[in-house]
Amino acid sequence: MTRPRSNRVRRWVCLAAAAAVPAALVAVPAWAPAADDAVRSAEAARVAVIAKVSPAVVCVCSYGGGVVGSGILISPDGYVLTNYHVAESISPVMQGGLNDGKLYDGVIVGQDKVGDVALFKLLPKKDGSPFSFVPLGDSDKTKAGDWSMAMGNPFGLSLDFTPTVTFGLVSGINRFQPPEGKGMLEYTDCIQIETSINPGNSGGPLFNMAGELIGINGRGSFEKRGRVNSGVGYAISINQIKNFLGLLKAGVDADHATLGATVGSASEDGDLSVMTVKQVLDDPPSDAFRRGIQAGDQVISFAGRPMTSVNQYKNVLGIYPKDWRLPIAYRRDNARKETLVRLMGHMDKEVNESDAAPKPPTPPRPQRPDPLAQKAKLSPAMKLFKEKKGFANYYFNELERDRLLAGFRTGGDFSSLTGPWTIIGQADRGDRKGDIQFRIENDEKGQTVVTLRFADVVDKLVPLDATNNASQLKLPIGSGGLLVAMYEYRRLLVLGPKGFEGGFYHAGVEPFYPPPPQGMPAENLAALRVDCEVVRARHAAIETKFYFSKSDQTLLGFETFPVKDDDPCEVYFSDYRPENGRKLPHRLDVYYSGKRYGVFSVAGYKLDQK
Amino acid sequence: MTRLFLLVAALFTAGPVSAAEPIPVVADKVNQKLVKLFGAGGFRSVTNYGTGILISADGYILTVASQLLDTTDIVVHLYDGRRMKASVVVVEPELDCAIVKIHAEGKKPDEPTGLDLPHFDLIAAAKQPPAKPDDWVLAFSNCFDIAERDEAMTVQRGVIAAHTKLQGRRGIFDFPFHGDVYVVDAITNNPGAGGGALTDRSGRLLGIVGREIKNRLSDTWMNYAIPVNGSVTIKDGDKEVTLSIPEFVAKGMAGAYKPVKRTEAANGPGGYHGIRFVPNVIERTPPYVEDVFPGTPAEKAGLRTNDLISFVDGEPIVSIKAFNEYIKKTKPGDTIRLEVRRGDNLTTIDLKLENYPPKKAPPKTETSPDPVKK
Repeated sequence: MTRPRSNRVRRWVCLAAAAAVPAALVAVPAWAPAADDAVRSAEAARVAVIAKVSPAVVCVCSYGGGVVGSGILISPDGYVLTNYHVAESISPVMQGGLNDGKLYDGVIVGQDKVGDVALFKLLPKKDGSPFSFVPLGDSDKTKAGDWSMAMGNPFGLSLDFTPTVTFGLVSGINRFQPPEGKGMLEYTDCIQIETSINPGNSGGPLFNMAGELIGINGRGSFEKRGRVNSGVGYAISINQIKNFLGLLKAGVDADHATLGATVGSASEDGDLSVMTVKQVLDDPPSDAFRRGIQAGDQVISFAGRPMTSVNQYKNVLGIYPKDWRLPIAYRRDNARKETLVRLMGHMDKEVNESDAAPKPPTPPRPQRPDPLAQKAKLSPAMKLFKEKKGFANYYFNELERDRLLAGFRTGGDFSSLTGPWTIIGQADRGDRKGDIQFRIENDEKGQTVVTLRFADVVDKLVPLDATNNASQLKLPIGSGGLLVAMYEYRRLLVLGPKGFEGGFYHAGVEPFYPPPPQGMPAENLAALRVDCEVVRARHAAIETKFYFSKSDQTLLGFETFPVKDDDPCEVYFSDYRPENGRKLPHRLDVYYSGKRYGVFSVAGYKLDQK
Repeated sequence: MTRLFLLVAALFTAGPVSAAEPIPVVADKVNQKLVKLFGAGGFRSVTNYGTGILISADGYILTVASQLLDTTDIVVHLYDGRRMKASVVVVEPELDCAIVKIHAEGKKPDEPTGLDLPHFDLIAAAKQPPAKPDDWVLAFSNCFDIAERDEAMTVQRGVIAAHTKLQGRRGIFDFPFHGDVYVVDAITNNPGAGGGALTDRSGRLLGIVGREIKNRLSDTWMNYAIPVNGSVTIKDGDKEVTLSIPEFVAKGMAGAYKPVKRTEAANGPGGYHGIRFVPNVIERTPPYVEDVFPGTPAEKAGLRTNDLISFVDGEPIVSIKAFNEYIKKTKPGDTIRLEVRRGDNLTTIDLKLENYPPKKAPPKTETSPDPVKK
């Protein structure tokens, strides 16, 4: 349509823009609207931000092929965020074009199919030379009405990889956009923008005006308008991605979560929306079920966010990976309760079902050699790729795991201590206090035996004895399996990954809630949260999750699951002190099923070589 | 390259960025005065959701006159998450607007609702000077049904591109409102956006976001809003009447508005022309004349076999269907001007439509006498 006056202003604006460099043109024509200093400084700030972030914007290309999307460098060692729907077609190796006009080889690291996020790593032209990158912002601070910039390579326009910049408002926050097919590409708690995004912008960055990354652009509402900008685009919030970043860096094919209970509006006719639990999954029992959550409970908040609509519930649930433990507050009979609930996997069902019924093998189809695929195999980035079920790239899992273990081992080398272990000290079990002695040793048959002597009670277990029943595995009574747990702990220290034939892999970063000395409080559990690097280990039928400090890789505790579909035995370590040059915890808080089993104060460790 | 960045960056500095409240603050205030509407529809591309503007503390809502309102079961979600029932008070198709009222729980529809909602004073807003081309605007709506309950509306920003009358051209787009509208350079008119608010940078109400309108020739979509002081002059019987939004709102809320009787519905067969077209086999069969029946207006006007009708009354006509649609809106005695492609030339032909011949005509093609060929 006609814009009678806009041409004039646009022309003036072009001038003003160009004038930022040659000073002579700064003079504003007399007819121009007065541009105050705020306008000029806002413009200058914007120009500076664009110049600063541009070198970190990636044009994502298939290996030796064309542009498939955009991406953004988030670390000097070359980690690039993009969309899963961009990475999907080109994995495992790709090329990334930067605004220096060069293409860099890259390899898939991790992926999140449900959240539509993938992590690549670009390889520098010279070993060790750093990439430009952008800082991650805090998307929870983003508001509807804030300005934003999207960058990337829409329509593959830029042949020298200079990114296209678009500018516009954040139109809404905490938006929910349902999955697109097979439960994947679900945009929860996402940022809605009018900032123009088009085909090719997928996977590219959304910035706030400080040049901080607040989202990854990936979707729009189109309906009948064709898949081009309709004024309604969506970016995955960077705070969601932060929750998954540990998994992505560890090469995992990450999964989202379900609560293990369904939640809905209490009544459609209510004035204010009240969210209640509709159904709780009890077969197999979900953690929500074991925590005592019941149908009819009113959900007040989940993960610290108030629950007011189905969309909000899906939003909050959607930003977390499976297995995370998060606080849920609910109301029953006018009493407020709070508990930590372990989230279940989103895709577990699909995976398990496909495991249960293996498909008949498809007859091999005659394949024509794809020249690009052949070429991709020769990429130097292929050296950084290892295929394994459950992982996007197992190479990076080993890398992360070994880095974590190297840090952990600075606390002491236990590999030679294969003899009997004796730990003595005092136990405080509330009503009962007394001396304790743990002993882990091999019997004459070579089987490991774990014994706990508490005052005059002796509990004894051969963890690997196939005849053990569930209650034996959970000895001592009320601990959820402390004997098995200590056995696992010793294996970690002495054998490391070799002690866990069923798997020993880095499982990203998860929240951990070490209880204060006086015991687990009834509310405000989020205040206890410490984010830890996690290793999942499997030995025989026993699963254990080890939680390491992110800063110095100290083992802060672990959870052992001796019995399937039951709560784990939780062990929290503190009061680390040196023993013969090795750092060992001198306080163990043991919890099971939300209750404290006991506190153990260690007086001494006797760890023998033979 | 640097220049490109500078240019892109600078384009948007044209708007005033100083003094005014931050946009998130303005957006939050406006959002409180808007409602999400849910009603009839929900199949194919007919949406069952829309947007409305609160125009009184006790729950009167102004929105577009969409099919959404064709139900007694309208549901409103307020900004704070309250879900309430509502019903249509009055619709004025000529203004393409409707007034809807919220029902308070446990009260009769004609009782005061006792609500005290944040709202726009539309009458006052209409007295303010209109927005001008180049003015900065914000648009708020629940487009694509993104928000529910207490979730905030979509906010977009744009510039008034024009304040003008849009000529609705049948077959291209039939414009629902014939007064002046604000044309906006942002993509504001998405599904469900109709009835949303167009405001200035400080949140002052300027207009009501209109419907989705597509130009079928260029495949482009129109983004417009009906100004708060919008008016339209129409024929009511013999006299001309001017309808305006402020009057509609004032009388509508007082229960005193009577919609204008629309002039005879243009759904009759229209005038008779006497053209037989080529078989209409595809969606867009070009309007080629196969025959003209003897003694009909078409023969009198001199139309011939193989003529291709390209324009009627200056409007492009691309198919037999479009021609028939156009004819439906005519009546016997009207003269239509055809632009006809004959060979390589464009010929102008005036054709005076007549009454349809008596029942037996038009005769069946099989038994008709040979058409006159000239």
